[in-house]
Amino acid sequence: MIQHLLDGILVGSILSLGAIGLTMVMHILRFANFSHAELLSIGAYVALVFDQMFKVTMPLMANAIGSLSMTWALVLATIFSIVFTGVSAVLFDWLVFRRIRQKGEELSMVFASFGLALIVRNLIGLIFGLNTKLYSQDIVFATVLSRDPLLVVKLDQLATFSITLVLMVIIHIVLSRTTFGYSLRAVGENPELAQVNGINLERAIMAVWIIGGGLAAMAGVFYGLTNQINPMIGRDLVLPVFAATIVGGIGSIYGALLGGFIVGLASNLALIILPSGYSPSVPFIIILAVLLIRPNGLFGEARA
Amino acid sequence: MKKENGSFALKLCVAICLALFASNSVSQACTTKVGAVLPTSVDWGRPIAETAQFVVEQVNESGGVSGCKIEMILRDTQVDPKVGVDAAKALVDLDGVQLLLGAVSSGVSMPILTSVSVPSKVMQMSCCSSSTAFSKLAEDGKTKGLWYRTFATTGVQSAVGAKVAKDRGFKTVAILYKNDDWGQDLNRLITRDFGALGIKVTSAVAINDGQPSYKAEVTNALSGNPEALYLGLYPNEGTAAVREWLSLGGTQNMIMANSLKSEDFRENVGLQYLDNAFGTDTASPRVASADEFVKLYKNHFGKEPSGPGLANSYDATMIALLAMEAAGKGATGDQIASQVSRVTDPEGTPITADAAGFKAARTILAEGGNVMYQGATGNVRFDKNGDVSAPAVVWKFTDTGTKEIEYLSLTEVDEFIASMN
Repeated sequence: MIQHLLDGILVGSILSLGAIGLTMVMHILRFANFSHAELLSIGAYVALVFDQMFKVTMPLMANAIGSLSMTWALVLATIFSIVFTGVSAVLFDWLVFRRIRQKGEELSMVFASFGLALIVRNLIGLIFGLNTKLYSQDIVFATVLSRDPLLVVKLDQLATFSITLVLMVIIHIVLSRTTFGYSLRAVGENPELAQVNGINLERAIMAVWIIGGGLAAMAGVFYGLTNQINPMIGRDLVLPVFAATIVGGIGSIYGALLGGFIVGLASNLALIILPSGYSPSVPFIIILAVLLIRPNGLFGEARA
Repeated sequence: MKKENGSFALKLCVAICLALFASNSVSQACTTKVGAVLPTSVDWGRPIAETAQFVVEQVNESGGVSGCKIEMILRDTQVDPKVGVDAAKALVDLDGVQLLLGAVSSGVSMPILTSVSVPSKVMQMSCCSSSTAFSKLAEDGKTKGLWYRTFATTGVQSAVGAKVAKDRGFKTVAILYKNDDWGQDLNRLITRDFGALGIKVTSAVAINDGQPSYKAEVTNALSGNPEALYLGLYPNEGTAAVREWLSLGGTQNMIMANSLKSEDFRENVGLQYLDNAFGTDTASPRVASADEFVKLYKNHFGKEPSGPGLANSYDATMIALLAMEAAGKGATGDQIASQVSRVTDPEGTPITADAAGFKAARTILAEGGNVMYQGATGNVRFDKNGDVSAPAVVWKFTDTGTKEIEYLSLTEVDEFIASMN
């Protein structure tokens, strides 16, 4: 039971990071971006490339930090990956979404995002191959807290969880205390009115993509670190991330955070009572339950 | 003008067709048609069909079946159940065949069996379908004894997996299996086999592919504190699950299905953790008759029989035609099917898998004797469900690939499986 709670928190923090970016894009640009999870793949793979590069060029950085499986090379690679993924999110917007936003309607954007997701996924497969990749081949053994009941924890998990929490606090402060944050929220509330008040809409949208892409990159790296990297990360994570977003309420950062943990915990706890074959369905049962009780999600607000 | 041209072409065509038909009926006084439904439009399907045709040529060379030449009418399935059923139906209804060879995929063979072969009482012999759904169908008596196949089922793999556990003295085993048809099938079989050997299955956990984490599943499997872990997984989720398993302090005693025979899996899990991991796989038989087939094939086709299912296709066709010979002239599908045991009788006179062997068999069968067919996949023997088993190997990862630890001949596999029941 406690073990499943611990595991749920790890999965939850990855989903939360993905969901925050998605919820912001969905709120401000008002469309369900099904290609968002591909940004996690891009993040994971870009970090992999830089990680390998740094390990070769700077062998000193290849040493693990403490008992984590993370190395300084990977930390640096993650920073590069965040930037790269943020930029590619902006690029996707310029190439695809902005053009459709000007001509088409919301539904066209949704379809376009499906198409984009497929293109990105297959491009990654084409470049890196379909097989599994890992940042480090070494297996980091978990710390056993108790044998009976079995209770083990991996330091990677704790690190991922802490980093997620720190990021949340930073985002919260930015959104609630800075002019930049206010302008983003204003665009989310009413783009026209925000523009009237002197907010540069294009720039605000760009910022949203960069933040969303950056967080997705982190989620991708954490996923790669605790699981493995393959071109299907996007496909596998898109629905849980959506579930987290919807459960939390579209547009709510805290909702996305909580939603991620709820989905992660529920999928793990479900295994106590359900055979494991059914665990993929759990996020959707949660979506249904939440939508029935609170149609706008836990933290969402109704809007016209 | 145009119209005249058209009618001329038609007349010409009719004339040619009539001429062809006439010459056909003159030169071959007696022809027995057999049907083949194989995926000839895919690259790996064509050689399977060519191998079957090669057998037919040899049988005809030896004097045909019951004095008649065999004509194999080949129809493409396009690996599509609908196309396959149509083709089989046409063969049975229009050409009046009593024997269908095929199909390759279980998903195609199954509807042909249930909607064509069984209702029309036609014998069906597949070279390549491996699903245990057929065994289940046969156990329920729904194949009416008309179904045979020369491709081993997942049962061999599971039996050998259980044998490894027994040989290494494991008392408790946890199972992780892929949550698809194949994995569920394997899980069902291996659980039964472990049970038969008195090995306790502490938990059997389904692994869905593409999950954000397998920690919960692995924790569940770990909870019974098993001595060994059985893995019915593919490399992708296998890597993730096994790494998780090891990092949570699970045992390194592992038994793997052949699906994990993969470079990626070895590299990503790490050879240092795989020292006590044993894999199972089916193998090609190491008997003289299998080498003979390779020689024969090379002589005829000028290349190695390296594609999938070639040896199986050879044996499927040969055994079906032998059974036809045993059943005598004008035999119906169920009569032919009932003769299969006479030509694959382990007590019978051994015969080779070529024209000479067929000739020899003809004499023995005519005298009421039984023969033991020694074919490309060894001494083929069907069980009551029309299934065959296959030789098996136990393997282990090395730094360059895999190495064989143990080879179990067809007889050893058969005996082991029999000892469990």
